[in-house]
Amino acid sequence: MMDSNFEFDAIVVGSGITGGYAAKELCEAGMKVLMLERGRSIEHGADYETEFKAPWEMPFRGSGDAELYAREYPVQMLNRHFNEYTQGHFVNDADNPYATAEGTDFNWFRSYNLGGRSLTWGRQSYRWSDYDFMANKRDGHGTDWPIRYADIAPWYDKVEEFIGVSGAAEGLPQLPDGNFQPPMPLNVVEQSVRESIAARWPDRRLTIGRTANLTQGKEGRAPCQNRAICARGCSYGAYFSTQSSTLPAARATGNLTLVTDAVVEHLDYDEKTRRVTGVRWIDKAEKRRRSATARIVFLNAGSFNSVHLMLNSRSEAMPNGLANSSGVLGTHIMDHASTLAAIALMPGYEGWTTFGNRPTGIVIPRFRNLEQIDGQGHARGFSYQGGALQSGWTRGKREAGIGAEYKESLQSPGMWRMVLVAFADCIPRASNRLTLDTTKKDANEIPQLKIEFAFGSEEHAALADAKKEATAMLTHAGGNVIMGFDKPGTAGGAIHEMGGARMGNDPTTSVLNRWSQAHEVENLFVTDGAQMSSSACQNPSLTYMALTARAADYAVTQAKLGRL
Amino acid sequence: MAEEGKTGWSRREFGGAAALLALAVGLPAVGAYLSYPDEDEAPSERQIALMESVAQLVIPRTQTPGAGDVHAGAFAILALAHGLDGTLQPVSNAQSSWAIERFQRPDGSLRYVDWLESVLDRRANDDWFRRTDQERVRLLSALDAEAFEDGGDGHPWKAIKALILTGYYTTEAGGSEELRYEPVPGRFDSKVPQEIGTRAISNDWTAVEFG
Repeated sequence: MMDSNFEFDAIVVGSGITGGYAAKELCEAGMKVLMLERGRSIEHGADYETEFKAPWEMPFRGSGDAELYAREYPVQMLNRHFNEYTQGHFVNDADNPYATAEGTDFNWFRSYNLGGRSLTWGRQSYRWSDYDFMANKRDGHGTDWPIRYADIAPWYDKVEEFIGVSGAAEGLPQLPDGNFQPPMPLNVVEQSVRESIAARWPDRRLTIGRTANLTQGKEGRAPCQNRAICARGCSYGAYFSTQSSTLPAARATGNLTLVTDAVVEHLDYDEKTRRVTGVRWIDKAEKRRRSATARIVFLNAGSFNSVHLMLNSRSEAMPNGLANSSGVLGTHIMDHASTLAAIALMPGYEGWTTFGNRPTGIVIPRFRNLEQIDGQGHARGFSYQGGALQSGWTRGKREAGIGAEYKESLQSPGMWRMVLVAFADCIPRASNRLTLDTTKKDANEIPQLKIEFAFGSEEHAALADAKKEATAMLTHAGGNVIMGFDKPGTAGGAIHEMGGARMGNDPTTSVLNRWSQAHEVENLFVTDGAQMSSSACQNPSLTYMALTARAADYAVTQAKLGRL
Repeated sequence: MAEEGKTGWSRREFGGAAALLALAVGLPAVGAYLSYPDEDEAPSERQIALMESVAQLVIPRTQTPGAGDVHAGAFAILALAHGLDGTLQPVSNAQSSWAIERFQRPDGSLRYVDWLESVLDRRANDDWFRRTDQERVRLLSALDAEAFEDGGDGHPWKAIKALILTGYYTTEAGGSEELRYEPVPGRFDSKVPQEIGTRAISNDWTAVEFG
């Protein structure tokens, strides 16, 4: 498809969940694609350096050097998946600073390496429904989505088939069923709690997490081995990542050019053609600036970094940033408000245990504000994730005792407990925004990204509701609730930051159209989380991928018709 | 710090302690990982021995090795030097009986090993190593009971004991002999009878993280 006027048909900025997907789709459609990744290369299998190491083979037994982390990874160390095995899959915060507005805080979790956060993601893969795509229209927050569930459903089918999602069909309109591999089982306690909740609340369903971990092998990928050490990288290819899935597919076409250590700093805009004409980056290895041209550009740098790049791509014609005549670029950012809603001791299951490390928990889908507003001080939804687990040897840290009896007491699995973590819809607000901090530069002399974010009354009300209902459900199921919270953790903690270049029908109030295409720059597509107009309360990555596949198909079609 | 330590630690001696620790925790170059805010804080050979003796009392040898046998005490020293489990954070002297003031650094964090050595020597009439095994069990049991009684939140012994446990259950003996180590389970069984003697899986990561 190459046009002699361009070095490439498409440039994809970023190699994470959506960048990899964009590259695969565009390559498979016959386009010559340049994929730029700002971090180092990590090859599947060969570069998963800690994957098979036992704790006793690690300098700090897997816990890592806390002193080093406090100094250089103060944000990343808060990620549940960050530890001594996985630290190489996260950014060094000291080397990659960002700013936050005074009086606000935001934990920005990042992975600057080939595969991006696809190596470390939680793999939860949920469809959104029309309760989500119509949320803004329904309650007036944000701007109406220009698409509905019917527009994206075929693309969910396609993506689920490719990445492999295991899960159970439940027939819930608020969490549409997908093209699932067989589900992983609920454990003995979760099964009982599911039945207890269903008996008392017929509209509530506890089901196994829908996760991008294979239960059946496919295309060179083995089924999950139940190790639950995914973030180290998985040589079995049992979970979806760029390395296991999209990168091999893109490479197989022979159409992919991959460049790592390439920090994109600017997209060049040509006022006459109203197109992006090229991408400029810093070659970290050779310490020089390089550039390339392409017919189309896909931005997949991760929600905030894609916006950062657009804000930084100012020009005479677009002094407020690329595709930002509306002034909306950077605004209406979101992250799910989340908290530990309840943890309960679960007596009565002492005779049972499990074998194997299941790499997913459970989910209780949204049940609030569906057909009617439930009057709990919030108009959207929340869902729970979590699961039932037994304590292990670490419980000894909380228990008195020394000696042989104490040692023996720690030899068996301990008490069962059940955890419910709430994830609440985040209202899109103009005041939650990204800007350039022109007073602070990063290591590449690029103005730092400044994050201004605060949750509002809706999120607080939702989490208060979630705590109350979590307590009610676990108590009804025979649990003794010992703790629960109703205040959101520090923003960013859900690692679902999104928005900033939202979709919409109106070019004066949105950045992208219904095809994830910039209203003002027709050959620019932004298909990572930046495009989101609302947050729903489900994990968003599957939706990002579906929208990416949809946008890629549109871009290829338009290119073939000579319109791009 | 005990008499040996009060003479001060030269770089040569510091290197000697690092070598001892390297031997103990099985790392080829523990010096690369071992750093202290002040060289004077490097552990003495006596302190390493004391930590191993304490570790062995917490987790003694049974059918499987004890924590001292696998150098969990030395690991705890390494871990304390690097602040695992938040041990480089400032501590509050909630109970005057803990007597931590003179072991606090200017930033409020605690030199745990110095504190423990002082406490145990004091309770042992000046020399922990001159007590019999039975006496040491009695003394350490008393300290443990005090730490875990009501109002013991933040007691320094809890932090030390926690890192001894980490040091033990993450060794090959603790993780794969005392407990089971299943690096590649290959399946998930959702409902398995748990009988007396069922050994827990040391790499049940959910249990390790949340348990």
